[in-house]
Amino acid sequence: MKKSPQQDKLEALLRSSKLSACGFLGEDKRSLWEIIDADATELERLGRTREDVAARMQELTDQAVPALGDWVKVGKMFQVCVDDNRGMIPCPWPHAVRCLKRITTIHHLKTGKTVRWSDLNIHLIKEHGFFEGKGAPFRIEPKDLVDSIFAS
Amino acid sequence: MGTIIIAIVIISGVGAFLATLLVFAERVITNYGDVEVDINKGDKKFTVRGGGSLLETLTNQKIFIPSACGGRGTCGYCKVKVLEGAGTLLPTEEPYMDAQERAEGIRLSCQIKVRNKIEIEIPGDLLTIREYSCTCEKIIDYTYDMKQFNLKLVEPTSITYTPGQYIQLLAPAYEGSPEEVYRAYSISSDPANKSGIELIVRRVPDGICTTYLFDHLKEDDTVRVNGPYGKFYLRDTNAPIIFIAGGSGIAPIKCILHHMKNTTIKRKAVFFFGVRTTKDLFLVEEMKQFEKELADFTFIPVVSQPEEGSDWHGATGRVTTVAEEFLKRMPTVSDCEGYLCGSPGMIDSAVKILADLGIPEDKHYYDKFS
Repeated sequence: MKKSPQQDKLEALLRSSKLSACGFLGEDKRSLWEIIDADATELERLGRTREDVAARMQELTDQAVPALGDWVKVGKMFQVCVDDNRGMIPCPWPHAVRCLKRITTIHHLKTGKTVRWSDLNIHLIKEHGFFEGKGAPFRIEPKDLVDSIFAS
Repeated sequence: MGTIIIAIVIISGVGAFLATLLVFAERVITNYGDVEVDINKGDKKFTVRGGGSLLETLTNQKIFIPSACGGRGTCGYCKVKVLEGAGTLLPTEEPYMDAQERAEGIRLSCQIKVRNKIEIEIPGDLLTIREYSCTCEKIIDYTYDMKQFNLKLVEPTSITYTPGQYIQLLAPAYEGSPEEVYRAYSISSDPANKSGIELIVRRVPDGICTTYLFDHLKEDDTVRVNGPYGKFYLRDTNAPIIFIAGGSGIAPIKCILHHMKNTTIKRKAVFFFGVRTTKDLFLVEEMKQFEKELADFTFIPVVSQPEEGSDWHGATGRVTTVAEEFLKRMPTVSDCEGYLCGSPGMIDSAVKILADLGIPEDKHYYDKFS
């Protein structure tokens, strides 16, 4: 598929370290659109929508925010911690969205699995279906994420 | 064969002509000539070659407007009031402006071009901000994610700032990060030492500037900073003081405590310092020393989640909760001033608690850096 100049510009920004030290695409050689397509297919296979996933991530984050960086038990299955750093990070897409530099870590008490995400991850998944490229520091595998956040 | 050569020559010639035309057009059409910049109605005037962004133009004149993104229009910090000469608000600026700012002519200085005479208004103290070249004299590891960087000033050789203020540090391009960025860090040092500054920095996962500081900066390296900035400083009153800080938020408070000691300020002060585990505690001995040296200062370290089996006997819980319980018992708490430094979440929580305790909002002081 031929890409527009805007898409080229966006992909270049995501590969660069202009907004985040290691960029958003990591070592992934696929194009941005291939990454998004592959993750969308995987999400569909898992029976979830990006809106479901983002809403659940936001819910878990919101429940741990009042703890100001401490681990809190959420429901029966999760320990959650939200680490708040000063400053904002903008969304790489060309619109005016800036997110707090806040990182949520969830630990599933039964499986022992740990998953982390930033506020920007939630936005990128919800609005752009973007889980980041393989090897990027904040890449989240859709299966790992779905298995963790919806596990009972 | 001859036809092919002629065709190549013609195509090359046309290409060269078009390239020359483009260069000529760039020089003539986008040549704005000399342009006057007037700051604060004549306080400072200079003439520059037009065409650059206002932020870049001011920086070249050693006038530093706070900016975290290096002029890419993503942080929204570099706002200035433009009285004349900036044209209409650009789509790239719109998201960062509220209705009042639009009405007042506030603009993002990184987005507007200096094309003709331009008149701007900026806070007077920005005219005193300077750029400093420094040497990283010492790096101190406090915890697994907290370091102190002692910077010795090289040019200029001294700095004056109000205790509590911050500087902007330039992270240069490094492997994996090809562009320069600025980030704000509070000064933690004794303000009596004008030949250097100390910064306490916590690592931000995948943060551009903290990755540079933690993984690339070495002792004896050159560092560039500019400043000082900020309105977080000790007000000149006799009100009792409540300091609440978390993690690296201790930095400006430490600087203010040095200042209180140097100037023999005898105000009552209590400092609640929150960390998660005992491994995150640092500067405790220095704070205990301030307790001995200041007239009426109490330091209360608070650990929210002490490790199992640790021998922690101090205050336990969230720093804001511990502060609230302590302050509720203070009969004159509503007369206090609150000085807060830490994560946005901690500041929001502390502001609410201070307000609930009857301390008016205009007596809450903080720099949120967001």
